[in-house]
Amino acid sequence: MASLANQDFGSESEDDDFNPAPAIDSDDERDIKPEDEETSQKPRSEPASRAVREEEYEDEDDDKPPDVNGSGSKAKTNGEGDVEADGEEDGDGDGEGAGGGEDEDEDEEDDEDEDDDDEEDDVQGGHRRKRRKRDPRNQFIDVEAEVDDEDEDVDEDEEGEAVGDFLADTHPDDLNDLPPGADKDDRRHRELDRQRELQASLDAEKQAALLKERYGRNRAAATDAAIMPQRLLLPSVDDPTIWGVRCKPGKEREIVYAIMKRIEDRQNTREPLAITAAFERGGTMAGYIYVEAKKQADVMTACDGVSFLYPRTKMVLIPIGEMPDLLRVNKSKQLEPGAYVRIKRGKYQGDLAQVEDVETNGLEVSVRLVPRLDYGQNEDANASTEKRKRPGFGGGNPAANRPPPRLFSEQEAKRKHGKFLQQVVHLGKKQFTYINDTYIDGFLIKDMKLQHLITEDVNPTLEEVTRFAAREEDGVENLDLTALAATLKAAGANAEYLPGDMVEVYQGEQRGVTGKAISVHGDIVKLTVTEGDLQGQIIEAPVKGLRKKFNEGDHVKVVGASKYHDEVGMIVKIRDDRVTLLTDSNNQEITVFSKDLREATDAGGPTGTSKYDLYDLVQLDAATVACVIKVDRESLRVLDQTGSVRSLLPSNISNKIEKRRNAVATDRDGSEIRVDDTIKEQGGFGERKQGQVLHIHRNFLFALSRTQTENAGVFVVRTANVLTVAAKGGRVNNAGPDLTKMNPMRNNGTQNGGQQMPPPKTFGRDKLLGRTVTIRKGPHKGLLGIVKDTTDSEARVELHTKSKTVNVPKEALLVKDPITGQTIDSWKLGGGRGKPSDMGRTPYGGRTPSAQSGWQGNGGRTPMAAANGGRTPAWNGAGGRTPAWNGGGSGGGGGGGSWASGGRTPAAGGRVGEGGKTPAWGGAGAGDRTVNPYDGSRTAYGGNTSNSAWASSKTPYSSSAGFSGSRTPAWNAGSSNSSTSHHDSGSRTPAHTPYASAPTPSWGPPPSSTSTSNAAASQPTPKPYDAPTPAPGGYSAPTPGAYTAPTPGASGGGYSAPTPGASGGYNAPTPGAYAAPTPGSGGLGATPGAWAAETPGAGEDDDPRYE
Amino acid sequence: MFFIHDLERTINLHPSFLGPNIANYLKDQLIADVEGTNTGNYYIICVIETTKEPSGRVIPGSGITEYIVPYKALVWKPFKGETLDGVVTSVVQNGCFVEVGPLTCFISRQSIPSDLKFDGNATPPQFTDNAGQIIERGTHIRVKLVGIRTEVGQMFAVATIKEDYLGPLDM
Repeated sequence: MASLANQDFGSESEDDDFNPAPAIDSDDERDIKPEDEETSQKPRSEPASRAVREEEYEDEDDDKPPDVNGSGSKAKTNGEGDVEADGEEDGDGDGEGAGGGEDEDEDEEDDEDEDDDDEEDDVQGGHRRKRRKRDPRNQFIDVEAEVDDEDEDVDEDEEGEAVGDFLADTHPDDLNDLPPGADKDDRRHRELDRQRELQASLDAEKQAALLKERYGRNRAAATDAAIMPQRLLLPSVDDPTIWGVRCKPGKEREIVYAIMKRIEDRQNTREPLAITAAFERGGTMAGYIYVEAKKQADVMTACDGVSFLYPRTKMVLIPIGEMPDLLRVNKSKQLEPGAYVRIKRGKYQGDLAQVEDVETNGLEVSVRLVPRLDYGQNEDANASTEKRKRPGFGGGNPAANRPPPRLFSEQEAKRKHGKFLQQVVHLGKKQFTYINDTYIDGFLIKDMKLQHLITEDVNPTLEEVTRFAAREEDGVENLDLTALAATLKAAGANAEYLPGDMVEVYQGEQRGVTGKAISVHGDIVKLTVTEGDLQGQIIEAPVKGLRKKFNEGDHVKVVGASKYHDEVGMIVKIRDDRVTLLTDSNNQEITVFSKDLREATDAGGPTGTSKYDLYDLVQLDAATVACVIKVDRESLRVLDQTGSVRSLLPSNISNKIEKRRNAVATDRDGSEIRVDDTIKEQGGFGERKQGQVLHIHRNFLFALSRTQTENAGVFVVRTANVLTVAAKGGRVNNAGPDLTKMNPMRNNGTQNGGQQMPPPKTFGRDKLLGRTVTIRKGPHKGLLGIVKDTTDSEARVELHTKSKTVNVPKEALLVKDPITGQTIDSWKLGGGRGKPSDMGRTPYGGRTPSAQSGWQGNGGRTPMAAANGGRTPAWNGAGGRTPAWNGGGSGGGGGGGSWASGGRTPAAGGRVGEGGKTPAWGGAGAGDRTVNPYDGSRTAYGGNTSNSAWASSKTPYSSSAGFSGSRTPAWNAGSSNSSTSHHDSGSRTPAHTPYASAPTPSWGPPPSSTSTSNAAASQPTPKPYDAPTPAPGGYSAPTPGAYTAPTPGASGGGYSAPTPGASGGYNAPTPGAYAAPTPGSGGLGATPGAWAAETPGAGEDDDPRYE
Repeated sequence: MFFIHDLERTINLHPSFLGPNIANYLKDQLIADVEGTNTGNYYIICVIETTKEPSGRVIPGSGITEYIVPYKALVWKPFKGETLDGVVTSVVQNGCFVEVGPLTCFISRQSIPSDLKFDGNATPPQFTDNAGQIIERGTHIRVKLVGIRTEVGQMFAVATIKEDYLGPLDM
């Protein structure tokens, strides 16, 4: 084609150049002959001359051609012509883009011609070509005209064959004019044409390959890429260098586009940009773009004058080692509709938005927001614009004073901003345009640039998401599982798998393999296969093809960030990676992704950060309490006392009410209800719920029913509406065992009822009557009065101050001596006389002192005895002995016997009758009488004897002990047998004391010895034994005696000095119990000590008594 | 499944129990303490015998006597996959609760054959296939345990009847 053009342009150029009448050319077809003649003529001469010139030229060139031609593959065959052809082709080549730079030797003229030719060609190329074909002469002429005759001489050898052809077409006349090589020339051109045509049509592929081979730069590298190791492709020093050029941050991409444009612009110019690449690294390297070129100067050319680019500042040469890093690709996160993002700045800064749509270029995103609108509410009509603008100018945070996010409300917008509001029905959806923004379904739909969105680490909170979820048509569930999961996927990707998790490969070659994760490195999980052929092998799998594997019945915990976070439950169903589980907390079924689950090692409900726990009782306000029935991450659900359920924030709760374990309530039947008891609802309608009491609050019970699913099984009832079904067994308040129940000793004790003896009743006139009293408390406190009348608990007191009689509890009275005004304490005792402690003490005191004083001074004692007399009636309960006793007491020295009997008999007496204790007394055993006399004598002795005498008498006693049993028994025996011995014993009167202590061990030893040695004692002996044994028995006997018997005594004593009486009763046992051991242990020497000891005791007791 | 299990229990006795009847006390105490309890893994149904006369040890400082009493007990441990008979105690929307002795199981709706439909309007509420099979309170039912949750002193199980031969029993 190029050659054709050349031929054309031969004539054309002639026309242009030489023919003054261009019209001729257009007439070519009609008068072809004459014209041809002429035209051909003229050109002939012209080309001829030119050819000559060119020949010379050629000659000059001849030096060059060899190497020039050498580069052309057809150079050899085509010779000069080829060179020329190439040159022409070159000219055309500009247009085709295939221009080879190899033919540098074109003539300038040629160049000119070509230029002209091109122009012509453009106009009428196609037409002309046809014509050419039809008319070979034209061909001839054209060729000739153009001919670069340079060839002619060169290839002489081919002339011959060419001549024939030529002659056929050429007018003979012309031949003369023609240069010798002209015919040849044409032929060659045509040949070349054909060749080219062939090449272009038949061998396009081959040619392309050829061209590529010739010109393609990195051909070799590219083809080998598949095989070649990557590292060999790393840049080396021979490769172009990369320069970092400063620019304005944020404009990187723009600049790169600008440079690209510049490259395009200059591509076909004389100085195309010599850079090989320009790129930017976006956010990571803001403020830089990178240009790759061989020379820094090229970078400069490329960058010079590009706006926002500052090539004049220092350029950075990137070290070869860092080049690959610079080009490393980070896959940018693909935003998908439904995903959540946050807004970086502006009014909605930090707000969560949902992606509605993503533009195809990935730079613009349409998001859905919960609008923050005030609908002009805060607009001050009078405020100047300036004022309103200030916040914006001040650079203040626009997020500071923004309205809260609320869904768009048509009503509110209409109220004040009706003029800004437009309603559009778009695809059947109602949407509003309000102040240039679009609102659909209450949400703001806004187009935003990607760079204004935060797409990483969005971490939407539950509350935020629910705002969007509320409007989700498919319901919350759907949203949770898809969009949210997609958003959160990245966030949790790292922590998704932990060593030990059971995982299943569901994608890729290893699909279906299950195993236990061993280690997790980035996106690769190493796992040991647990099932199938590969069992035991360790394989690696990418995270994306994995999911966690669970089995039905597994106990799992939700760890993923969904609204079920931290819920624990048991799996009931698994479908693919969706797992349905039954929560422990409230037996609800929830469905989550298996990736959000983790095997729960231990039981226990959600262990959130909330300070309130499931089933806690909380105080909502002063009058309301509620039981927590669900703990979410950020909210609580509670069931309040009225039975209504509400959701609250933990901050709405004023405090938590600690569980009161001891709280008691009564059910409708009056039985007690405690925490953890099982109660059943009574009355009412419908189901009678049964449950365990969780909390008791006033008359409300919060109970837990396992069979109820709503409210986590909690229900609230009034105590009056329930019955206790089962009290929780063994309400043990203290951890110790229940001794009263288990210990037989204690049981017996209770049977005896020793402690439970009712306080003695006083008969007859109340002693308070007529007494002068003061009132200790109440409205009349401090007033003096006289008791006029009494009941059990109250007294009517006639006040001195005003003539009024008031009722006052007896406890509030204080008896006064009417004359001195002294308080009389004993009166006070009246109320408390039944108290055992009092009894106990008084009797002791009474007796000991009595004895003591008795011993010490007869006189002292006697009055006491007298006092006893007074008391006697009190002793009635004690039995006939009292009188005896009394008698004894009164008898003093004389009636010793009776005394003794009185004293002892009761003590031992009761027992004696029943058991061997009295016999223990030996003498007693023999006959009460005897003993009594002894005692009596003893008493008498005592009475007679001085203290020293006592001591002496004691001595024998001790001696008896010391002597051995014989003596003692003797003593005992004596008591039983002979009066003498009695006397001895009597002399021993201490026996009296001992007698008191008789049952005591002190006795024990002697009798024991006695038993062996004493024949007479033989009988008694056992008795003594018994006695002592009873002593133990005595323990029981005397002890109770001490407590019980004395009580009356005490009471008696309490009132009147009688103590001795009591003492009598007591003495025996009490000292026996207490004091006796002392002598016993004391043996001989200790005795006096023992006595001494007793004395003070007596002293002590005396005091109270005399008070 | 039932087992006879050798166990031990430490019993502390107050000194007042020390006496001829101590063995009885110990046994009574043991029985009161352990029978019917749940260790978290199994239920102790009853104490069969105390295997050895224990000898006590007085704990210094407190006077309490500590006895370690070995005993044999009949225990019941439910297993995953075990088939058991129980009684339905309540029927709710999403399943029903079954008591197998001391163990409460839940049968999720997912684990109930789909032809058994929940009928909340019946009294009492029931699952029924309208062809004779009815699950309501009091129904005897055969279930298979699919999961067991153990807590201290408490057990809970999830069961299924979605298999052959499981479901309500004809009485």
